[in-house]
Amino acid sequence: MATIKINGKEITVEDNTLILDAARKAGYEIPTFCYQADLMGIGSCRMCLVEIEGQRKLQPSCITPVLHGMSINTDSSTVASARAGVLEFLLANHALDCPVCDKGGECELQDMVHKYGPRTGRHAEPKFKFHEKDYVLSQVIIKNSNRCVQCMKCVRVCREVVGRNVLGALGRGDHQEPTSFNRTFLDCDMDGNCIEVCPVGCFMRLPYRYKSRPWDLKGADTICPYCATGCRMVIEERDGQLLRARAQLGVGLNSETLCARGRFGCDFVNSAERITKPLIRHQAATWAEALASVKDGFSGKEGKHIGGVAAATLTNEELYLFQKLMRTVFGSPNIDSSSRWNSDAASAFIHAASMNEGGVSIFDCMEADTVLIIGSHISDENPVSEYIVRRISSNRRMNLIIASPRAMKLDSSANVKLRHLPAAEKAVLDAITLVINAGKLSEAEKLKAIKDSKMVDLLTAAGVGVDEITDIAKRLSASQSVAIVAGTEFLRFPDGTSGLALLKDVLKNLGKKVTVMPTLDRCNQRGAWEMGVHPSFGPGYATAEKGMDTEALLEAAMRGEIDALYVVGEDIISDYPDREFARTALSKVRFLVVQDIFMSETAKLAHVILPGASFSEKEGMFTNQEGRAQSIRKLLALPGKAKRDLDIIRAVGELFDGSFGPKNAVLVLDEIRQVNPMYSDVSLLFNNKKNSDNRLDNRAALVKCAAGVLPAAGEFASKAVSSRMEEHSFALVTGSHLFHLGRFSRKSETLLGLIKGATVEICEDDAARLGFVSGEKVKVKGKNHEVLATLKTSTGSKSRVAFIPESFEDAEVNRFFRRGEGVPRVSITRANQ
Amino acid sequence: MSDKKGGIDILDLIKKVLFTDFVKGLRITLGYNVSKSITHRYPDEEKWIPYRRFRGVHTLNRDEHGRELCVACELCVKACPTSCITVVPMEDDTGRGIADRVAKIWKVNLVRCLYCGYCEDACPTRAVRLGREYELACADFKCTVRNREELLLPQPVPESIEGGLVAKAKFERSLSGIKVTADLSATKKRAW
Repeated sequence: MATIKINGKEITVEDNTLILDAARKAGYEIPTFCYQADLMGIGSCRMCLVEIEGQRKLQPSCITPVLHGMSINTDSSTVASARAGVLEFLLANHALDCPVCDKGGECELQDMVHKYGPRTGRHAEPKFKFHEKDYVLSQVIIKNSNRCVQCMKCVRVCREVVGRNVLGALGRGDHQEPTSFNRTFLDCDMDGNCIEVCPVGCFMRLPYRYKSRPWDLKGADTICPYCATGCRMVIEERDGQLLRARAQLGVGLNSETLCARGRFGCDFVNSAERITKPLIRHQAATWAEALASVKDGFSGKEGKHIGGVAAATLTNEELYLFQKLMRTVFGSPNIDSSSRWNSDAASAFIHAASMNEGGVSIFDCMEADTVLIIGSHISDENPVSEYIVRRISSNRRMNLIIASPRAMKLDSSANVKLRHLPAAEKAVLDAITLVINAGKLSEAEKLKAIKDSKMVDLLTAAGVGVDEITDIAKRLSASQSVAIVAGTEFLRFPDGTSGLALLKDVLKNLGKKVTVMPTLDRCNQRGAWEMGVHPSFGPGYATAEKGMDTEALLEAAMRGEIDALYVVGEDIISDYPDREFARTALSKVRFLVVQDIFMSETAKLAHVILPGASFSEKEGMFTNQEGRAQSIRKLLALPGKAKRDLDIIRAVGELFDGSFGPKNAVLVLDEIRQVNPMYSDVSLLFNNKKNSDNRLDNRAALVKCAAGVLPAAGEFASKAVSSRMEEHSFALVTGSHLFHLGRFSRKSETLLGLIKGATVEICEDDAARLGFVSGEKVKVKGKNHEVLATLKTSTGSKSRVAFIPESFEDAEVNRFFRRGEGVPRVSITRANQ
Repeated sequence: MSDKKGGIDILDLIKKVLFTDFVKGLRITLGYNVSKSITHRYPDEEKWIPYRRFRGVHTLNRDEHGRELCVACELCVKACPTSCITVVPMEDDTGRGIADRVAKIWKVNLVRCLYCGYCEDACPTRAVRLGREYELACADFKCTVRNREELLLPQPVPESIEGGLVAKAKFERSLSGIKVTADLSATKKRAW
């Protein structure tokens, strides 16, 4: 501890605290441009100069640590004139085109000059100009270097947080320009974090260009509707159009970072394709007519012939009311929240990831000695979680192990990266467990155990080498605490969950602290399960009468046993891994009600379509993958005659039971608090609070442990692929694309502009072997379907694995799948062959 | 008033008999009757051309190359005490404006405007000026809002004319409304 004096005030801080942090803690404001808590300090802007007694020159406080007994002056006249001097120099070449600049009104340089700056400049020389016109750096970033203050935050955020390393500084001195190589087009993640950290109008959003001024915008603090990381952001509108989404420094677990989907993808709410009025057999109708039709369709039907599917993109309140409607009003246990995987897989995953034991903070996970990320392409599926992992892992001594069939951006931060075959998570985890167990044996027995026939089978099934597995096992055995980040592949290939549970138990038995954090790809998937939108458990994972999941509902529909099906926000036909089966089955449902915001494939078959609300038009809560319940806020008015989903579900309930309720989101939350012990402490008040001191881990929002114990999951058949294949044959895997997730992103004009058409990603070596080049059009042919896609190569992916993202309409990837079959095989050939 | 205790004031009586106050008042009336008239025969024959400093209907200006000076920075909107200006910017690098940022919408609600001139003061490019048009009467609410296209039109009174003049005018009444057109070649100084 060091005791220092700041402006005469004595405070005690930890050793190695920066003067800046100490002064802020003592309540003194020091202006900065280049300092950001999460980034490496470079002391380049000189705004934070302070006077230290006994030192002749002023010192930059953002890179100078305190020493015991220091006496620091932060607001003497010397410091004030130094600040004004720095600003005068910054303005010497600054373009001063504030009226044109999009940052005008929220520019840090404007604020600083207003507060500290000289009122006049003495520079009479012509200003140095990098270029005359703004230049476009990517489809979403436009740049004007003349306004740059050389704080290099953009370069640092790109390298240290996003891990892309596409920005750098060209030139020196005041001619230094942070930009891409040769100012050419960036091949980047398009996440716009450089825009967010830029204190001036140097990096700007292209979609928001010249649309508005910050003071025209009305904002609402909300949660991103894409993946389950649960990033806090502010969405802002002008004249009823959502114009931008931005993150705030020190707010939410993401602080200032967002990914491309969150920052640029929310414009889907402005889409002209929104459904704005109720439709009965695709004819416009009034709400009264539509509800009467729903009443007709559901009246007199037996509970077991009724089903309900609600999307994991709805709020907790809506999902809770939906399952209440299905279970109490319709008497139907047939309720599910996803059509991509079956409910047993979800139960097994919840069990293996101990989701019933309450929320697990990602920051706690990153405290572990070893972090194992498996079953998730985290860089594409949960980009902001990946930023957190990268940022923390680079500042700590820890092991980061990544097991995935496909190469990812985070590999560069990993100590060990393992490339296994798709659907082989179980084999990988079992092999690790075997080796960890063998660690207790003597040297000779160990060799024997490793060469055991079972081990050989596992290694073959996973397509990995024994050295990699032993390396991972060694690192796991040597750590005191282990965190396992388990992704959605465990839901697609549920046999892996038993391997996960086993490894978790083995490590626990060895006396290690083990935490498992799920990573999910729908904003409220965890909330959907915890609200009881699942055929085998109710709210808070309470045991409930077992019903049919989406798959079973479709099978029953095929047999003609489903009289009425209520689908909210889910597009079963586009998501279910066997498109034709889903379409045929749904067409046999006698009465199909679809509540959605867009005309989905499923809605096209519906008898009644009810127009719902997007995330920006309603209030409620999302529970993210860690189990943080965070609230979303209403910003926009509903389009046309659309209604909030909660109101529609309640109106449907009231058709059959006049007292069905509660009546609004707040009252529903009250009921959730009573019914679901995990949510008993969840409050609307604390979960949107700003985290002080840039401490992002808002633990109060984490949900609590559920009552009771989950039953252990059953065994699943392995869908693993064999590594022996013909020359053109690939194992097809699917998942989220960096720019696209779910259906909403397909309606976002900005995101659609980022990538043209479907891509198929294969390993570079395979491409070289087959003579393909990246960017070429190829034909991907499976047993059931073929598509034309643009080839993309990746370095370091597992050979013989082809990846087609889920949500491209021109490559309906679920057509490749057949029910009951494992990973499909596809052949890739030139398009013109 | 003098002391009335001594009966009737003699002086007062004389004033009343001679109609002194009446003559005084009449003198002013008669004086104006023979002096030069300052009334403008507006709108039938004459129209007042105000000075440059006059604060009438807004104008949007162009530079010497004909490019719009407005960069749609919205500072006028911010400065406006009655929020009567609406500006929506857009990008246009075809040379329409002096920068690639131009106004998509620039409209002012003349009924709300109190002609304070703050918008002029706030304008960093001197694009918005309060002009010399003051005839705002109309029979339709539509004409109370002027948009960009109308405000960019050349002004009937050019900047070169200093103002403070009375011009010959023609009053026209048609179905579309009433109009007073001034003939700027036939002006005379205002006679005070």
